[in-house]
Amino acid sequence: MSLAAILVAVISLVIGALLALLMIPVLVWLERRGAGLVQDRLGPNRTNVFGFRFGGVVQSFADVVKLVLKEEYYPSHISKHRWLLMLAPMITFSAALLAFMVIPFADNIVIDGESLRMQPLPVDYGVLWYLAIGSIGVIGIFLGGWLSHNKYSLLGSARAGSMMIGYELPLGLSVIAFVATYNTIDFNAMVQWQSGTVLGFLPAWGIVVQPLGALILIIALFAETNRNPFSVSEGESEIVAGYMTEYTAMKFAMYFMGEYVAMNTASAVIITMVFGGYQLPWVSTSDLLTHFSYFAWAIMVVMPIIVYFVIKWMKKNNRVRPTVISDGSREFEAKVLTYVMIGMTVLVEVILLYLSFASDAMLATSIAVTLLQIVIFVVKLMIFNLFFILVRWTLPRFRYDQVQHLGWYYLLPLSLFNLFITAIVVVGVA
Amino acid sequence: MENRIKVVPRYGESRKDKLYLPAIYQGMKITFKHLMGNVADSNAVDTLEYPEESPYDITDRYRGLHRLTHREDDTIACVACFMCATACPSQCIFIEATEREDGEDEKMPGKFAIDTLECVFCGYCVEACPCDAIRMDTGIFSLIGNSREDFVLEKDQLLAHKGVFGEEKSRARK
Repeated sequence: MSLAAILVAVISLVIGALLALLMIPVLVWLERRGAGLVQDRLGPNRTNVFGFRFGGVVQSFADVVKLVLKEEYYPSHISKHRWLLMLAPMITFSAALLAFMVIPFADNIVIDGESLRMQPLPVDYGVLWYLAIGSIGVIGIFLGGWLSHNKYSLLGSARAGSMMIGYELPLGLSVIAFVATYNTIDFNAMVQWQSGTVLGFLPAWGIVVQPLGALILIIALFAETNRNPFSVSEGESEIVAGYMTEYTAMKFAMYFMGEYVAMNTASAVIITMVFGGYQLPWVSTSDLLTHFSYFAWAIMVVMPIIVYFVIKWMKKNNRVRPTVISDGSREFEAKVLTYVMIGMTVLVEVILLYLSFASDAMLATSIAVTLLQIVIFVVKLMIFNLFFILVRWTLPRFRYDQVQHLGWYYLLPLSLFNLFITAIVVVGVA
Repeated sequence: MENRIKVVPRYGESRKDKLYLPAIYQGMKITFKHLMGNVADSNAVDTLEYPEESPYDITDRYRGLHRLTHREDDTIACVACFMCATACPSQCIFIEATEREDGEDEKMPGKFAIDTLECVFCGYCVEACPCDAIRMDTGIFSLIGNSREDFVLEKDQLLAHKGVFGEEKSRARK
């Protein structure tokens, strides 16, 4: 194993862990802020560190401090085996976290003729890993609800368990259809397959090649992550808080964060399998590598424009109304962030300018391409997380029997039908 | 009777409704529009940013913190008749009457305290007062203190509060 291989492995592990864990506070904030803005409110925007609010994202860190310092409460019946009660949320959390670890966030980087995976866990059976680990999360939910000795908790976990059975089948069957289409169980190979075009002009993304399978996949993943409209296991109007009724402090926070990690993972799986992963439409990695100077020029033109509009938006919105007494901290924050953004833009421009002229710097180019793909991946990930959030604040929760009905009577036959058609087409083409 | 029957249309039976997806698309469109509109101009969101921004909708009927009114000659209007303390449902008004020396009246409160932690701001004391001596037109909606004793308003504090809706003095006839 060369030094480059070790370095890439470590870096991709760090990036993967950061993407999964740092996303939690951002997503919690995005959810609350998004909910507020959807409902014509503001959402949390007060918390700050030295006057820096960052739109209120500091609130999530304050919440974590609160949850850590809260009283640890245990139900009285569980005097002896408390570690079991603590184990349950850990299972949910770590299952969601581990499932994220097989997502490629950039194409294989070639260093000295050695192809290295940009994947925290460099395995080539990512789909199987995701299906295996992703469904373990429900065991934590089930264990927690059962151990609580609470009827509501038990009801919530029973719902989660039965819903899992109902939705793992369509999920698995739609994934099999994708596996048959892409002819691989490697996430990275799936993304590479999607870099071509179909019918000459459409990008060969899963949503174009397999529209029905993509729809079933997205719906099943919504159910898998226990998000609205399938969040029946925590129906607060019927069963108090569901499986986490008896959970407090950090044990509850584990469940809470696990939900967001699972949502992040589901978004990553959706974009990897259906929306072309880390790739721009119509552009494959080899295109990026060979014509990198063109892309560098394009980025150099587009990036200042985007930054200009972001700064303009920030200046407009990061201030208080004229009627409000203000200490000017928001204006100060906007000013500092403006300088930071301009500085970063200049830095990126200089680097890109160097790369676009130094055509022989293959290593630097491939690193730049990898970084570009990571950026695209993160942008897509955020768009899909926003989609998850928007769905939550749009749709009411399904009634429990409706959820089961949808899963068994519609999604299962549809996914079987989809698999059947896919098999015929794949065999016919071959 | 015929024309009184109103047939309520039942939704959810047609194939389009059962597909869910068109309705979901419609709903997503609405929420997305709200989200984007508010992201584009977050100051247009109709939220009162309270500590920095004061409420602008306090009307003259708003029951704020209490005050004791003055007569035309700036002496206390209260005659310590105990009507307000009797009417008070939370029994938070404590009056000790003394003799009035300046010849205006016979009685006045030596002590007049309102425990605002007990007070429910019902306004019955204002209704009960025959001398228009107690009012709730200060417009003050927040009271801050470090101990429970800080929330017991004494006579001097109540006399110091100003009415903000024009009527400064007691309107009671002599």
